[in-house]
Amino acid sequence: MKKIFAISYYTVKENIRNKIFYVLIFFVLLIFLATLLFSVLGGEQELRLLLDFGLAAIELFALLLTIFASVTLVLEEIENKTIYLLLTRPLSRVEYLVGRYFGILFAVYLSIATMSIGHISLLLLKKWSFELSYFFVIFSLGFKVMLISGIAVFFSLFSTSAISSISFTFFFWLLGHFTEELKFLGSKLNIFWQYPAKFFFYLIPNFQYFNFRDRIQLGFPLLLKEANMNFISLAILYALVYSTVCLFLTNLFLSRKEF
Amino acid sequence: MDIIRTENLTKIYRKRHLGKLKETLGVRNLNLEIREGEIFSLLGLNGSGKTTTIKLLLGLLFPTQGRVYIREKLMPNKEIVRLVGYLPELPYFYKYLTIDELLNLYGCLSEITSQEISQRIRQVLKIVALEKERNKRIAELSRGMLQRVGIAQALLHSPEIVIFDEPVSGLDPVGIREMRELLLKLKKEGKTIFFSSHIISEVEKISDRAGILDQGELVCIVEQKDWFAREGGLEEIFLETIKSAPTVFALEPAQA
Repeated sequence: MKKIFAISYYTVKENIRNKIFYVLIFFVLLIFLATLLFSVLGGEQELRLLLDFGLAAIELFALLLTIFASVTLVLEEIENKTIYLLLTRPLSRVEYLVGRYFGILFAVYLSIATMSIGHISLLLLKKWSFELSYFFVIFSLGFKVMLISGIAVFFSLFSTSAISSISFTFFFWLLGHFTEELKFLGSKLNIFWQYPAKFFFYLIPNFQYFNFRDRIQLGFPLLLKEANMNFISLAILYALVYSTVCLFLTNLFLSRKEF
Repeated sequence: MDIIRTENLTKIYRKRHLGKLKETLGVRNLNLEIREGEIFSLLGLNGSGKTTTIKLLLGLLFPTQGRVYIREKLMPNKEIVRLVGYLPELPYFYKYLTIDELLNLYGCLSEITSQEISQRIRQVLKIVALEKERNKRIAELSRGMLQRVGIAQALLHSPEIVIFDEPVSGLDPVGIREMRELLLKLKKEGKTIFFSSHIISEVEKISDRAGILDQGELVCIVEQKDWFAREGGLEEIFLETIKSAPTVFALEPAQA
């Protein structure tokens, strides 16, 4: 456990000094520009646009950071040969993988928290009345990040280049928002196509479970009522199982990999 | 007593391209016995299998055939890996961490207790004369400094066995001399040193024995007294051995 913690801790540190720093700068710039742009609208409209735009930007930057950090996790480590000095110590490959994975998650969560604080501060300056549903949206984004990081880590070991890993992960992320449509399409197709459609429905992560950004205007009590606790618990369980399976498969590849 | 032993150690790299399987020999039937407390060097031309041998000893590569034993325990073994300190040919580190943070990380992974880590870091940084630079980031260090950080991490957990891959290549004369003195000092402390090199002049100055690798095969093992007794020293023996060794180029491409 101590070794996993050590790897996670230094992964967070490295990412903060490297990738996160630039992501946060871009986020601040983007939000600053958006504030200038939306200020012409004024009142409720300006607030609403700032809220939606900010949340979308947080999700986009978190996603980009997750994918790039996760893909480069193993690929860069192999390319730079930094992995040599870790694996030639009494450290199992699964400890290494879990440590790195949690390190990336913490680093991304930290950046989400920082971006959210900045975003909320800006909204409060514009006289926004604070909504608990904001945290609910950020909380669900955390599970999206968990899923996409698991997938990205898997692809980074499975494929041979960063570009292909990033492309595969983006493809999964995109399809993950249309799984219900895929299921619906499958039910309308003939029996020959139904099974592949079903297979993809289960294979691709279902991000619909964590998509509450568009319903933030409902307010926390309504949002919670709409989602209900059973649904939320199942969604959390789904994210945990899906990312564990991803890590398990990644470890299968990693344990056979030579350096 | 042998501290490292290999039995018929063989590594064949297999690469599949467009349905064709290409096999390249790394090392073949390597039978090595490294004695406790000695300096053993592996000599060979570029591509002769020196780094492959080291990676097989460390578990970074899996043997196609044969076994590696360290302290009579079959490798890979997490407990035994703890006894080994490794310095790769080029130092590969996380550039955004400081020397201190990097050594802390390696210390944790080498199972050094939290109380001991800072003391050990101080000691190894003193050995490599980097005490003042401990808070510098890796990205700010010169090649020579990186090599010294590499030595520090290899010695951090006081290993019984030190495995260095080409430790003098790329070093200036002062660096080479410092490395030589360090290896002799480690030997005095009772450590077993295994290193690869193609710089014969250095090998003959400090080694007790040297193994000559040619195209993946261990052609002979030479004792220190042999090269001292011979005019032309180890270089002459090496060149003679390489010339007379049978040519064993890459294996024929196999059909898929």
